[in-house]
Amino acid sequence: MKVGIPRALLYYRYGNFWNRFFSELGVEVILSPKTDKTILEKGLGKVSSEVCLPIKVICGHIEELKDKVDFVFLPRLVYLGDKLYACPKMIGIVDIVGLNFSALLRPKIKNDFFLPHFQVGLALTHNPMKSFLAYQRAKEELKFSKTIPDFPSDQPKIGLISHFYNLGDDFIAHDIIATFRKNGFLIYTKEDLPPTILENSKGFAGKIRWIYERELYNAFNYYLDKIDGICNIISFGCGPDSLVGEIMADKAKTLNRPFLQLIIDEHTGRAGLITRLEAFIELVKKRIVAN
Amino acid sequence: MKATFPNFGYETLALKTFLEKLGASVVLPPANTKHTLEMGVKYSSELICLPFKITLGNFIEALNRGADTLFMAAGAKKCRFGYYHYLHEMILRKLFPRFRLYAISQYTPYQFVFEKMPQIFMVSPTRVIYALLILLAKCALIDDFKCQLRLARVLDFNQANQIEKRAIKLIESANSISQIRRTRQEIRTIFSINGKKPEIKIGLVGEIFFMIEPFANQEIEKELSRLGALVVTKRSLFRHLKHLLKIDWEFYRFSLLAYKYLKDSPGGEAIRTVGEAVSFAMSGIDGIVHIYPFTCMPENIALEALEKASEDYDVPVLSMSFDEHTSRTGFLTRLEAFVDLIKRRKRERGR
Repeated sequence: MKVGIPRALLYYRYGNFWNRFFSELGVEVILSPKTDKTILEKGLGKVSSEVCLPIKVICGHIEELKDKVDFVFLPRLVYLGDKLYACPKMIGIVDIVGLNFSALLRPKIKNDFFLPHFQVGLALTHNPMKSFLAYQRAKEELKFSKTIPDFPSDQPKIGLISHFYNLGDDFIAHDIIATFRKNGFLIYTKEDLPPTILENSKGFAGKIRWIYERELYNAFNYYLDKIDGICNIISFGCGPDSLVGEIMADKAKTLNRPFLQLIIDEHTGRAGLITRLEAFIELVKKRIVAN
Repeated sequence: MKATFPNFGYETLALKTFLEKLGASVVLPPANTKHTLEMGVKYSSELICLPFKITLGNFIEALNRGADTLFMAAGAKKCRFGYYHYLHEMILRKLFPRFRLYAISQYTPYQFVFEKMPQIFMVSPTRVIYALLILLAKCALIDDFKCQLRLARVLDFNQANQIEKRAIKLIESANSISQIRRTRQEIRTIFSINGKKPEIKIGLVGEIFFMIEPFANQEIEKELSRLGALVVTKRSLFRHLKHLLKIDWEFYRFSLLAYKYLKDSPGGEAIRTVGEAVSFAMSGIDGIVHIYPFTCMPENIALEALEKASEDYDVPVLSMSFDEHTSRTGFLTRLEAFVDLIKRRKRERGR
């Protein structure tokens, strides 16, 4: 029995948990290869041209896996915690893929991780005990305990405010991260912060009902006065980001902090992107010297 | 208090009466024009969807006209719409320092009647309930009027436009239940005209703002009628209000029909869009047009489901997204081609 996991979207947060869970079940996991041009092209034809880049990418990964595995594992995250929803496209894409492809394992995660995964385990092994134990053993991978990172004063620091599935995917974010690294910047993302900060519901963050947008906004707020500049990466067509990004841009502008909003899609040219980043880096460096 | 709210097609008349019944004087924004859209686009982020830009333009124009209290529907769930008012307030504060914006959550009818409205207007909940009844009755009247209008437009386009103006005057002056009942009869009589029978029937589905506001959808209903297609829709403010009060029985049928395609709601009105389209397809409609704002998240998911439904039920579906750059010529060409296709199809099948 082979189960394929697309290396996209939620994989970048729950990948370790799923790998562990399936290996405890004794099921072979086939991970799709890293995103590249061919995978993206496979995905482009499968979904409306208006959706955001990560959704196109995951469609490509599923196409890539289809013929190689017995089942593709594509969980649907509906909400976490106090009804904090995932984005509509993340919820809907599971059905869209399911319309033309039936060998799909699609547990529905509504805050509770146990039951949907238990059912998947049961469907694959027909052994409730094994399935239960596999979840119990893999559970520790679900804890994201992080400590607050250090902010050394002698190095330039940049906050990359974007979703984990954008930053984690080398095809999407490699150039951006590499350009900052090359220029000696320390990079901070929202994944570096502990959940206590990310799940804060005070102020405007409490009004955001999208789970990952709330995390982005909290990370942005936390980093705002601790680091030298903030770069917000939005994929074109991302609904929640277009809204929260606007609010972040406004706040950064009122507080007079360097803030760069990069909008990326499958047509983004590498050269143009790097030119913009270098201009921004110059600006941040000048400000550090002036202060 | 000079209250205002964004234009919402013909339903504006009903909402205006509602606020007037609560004791507010209403300053409506001028009818949507290119200028409205330009103002909206100028002050908003380029990535946000078109309804936001239009409503922002409405607020700017209304504030210029002297309005001081803004009302905006809200209700934060999965769709961007629930968050519009935060951005509206943020952007408008910089332009106009003195105004109040009330966000009316759609999903808490109890709070709306017993807390929010009495607090804002200093009236008793009974009066709010009375105003709400008038609102529902008037919305039903407008729903009825729109159905008559759609048929009349296919029968005799020019005459229908003249009757439309008369009917709107009648609706404007209907302010009590008995008057509304009388107007309903009058509208039915003035709309009884003769003409050629519609050749084809087209179902219109999509996002609610686009279904209701003719400026946003490039007057698609008018254009389809001009091409000789009878437009059928199941979307109006009346149905939406019933849905919010959880008494729209048809919605449960739509959810069942949509379940085959969407197992879980992606927010917004995707479920309803798909359900309506499937119910149209089952009732033997000739074609379906799906309209939504560019990059709308729920409707983009619905679009894929509609494509599949189109195969399953053998019904042509045309999906069109709109933003501020949509060219009218391109839009009309697509619509004409689609209507031609359906007509030819129908003739060939009929043979």
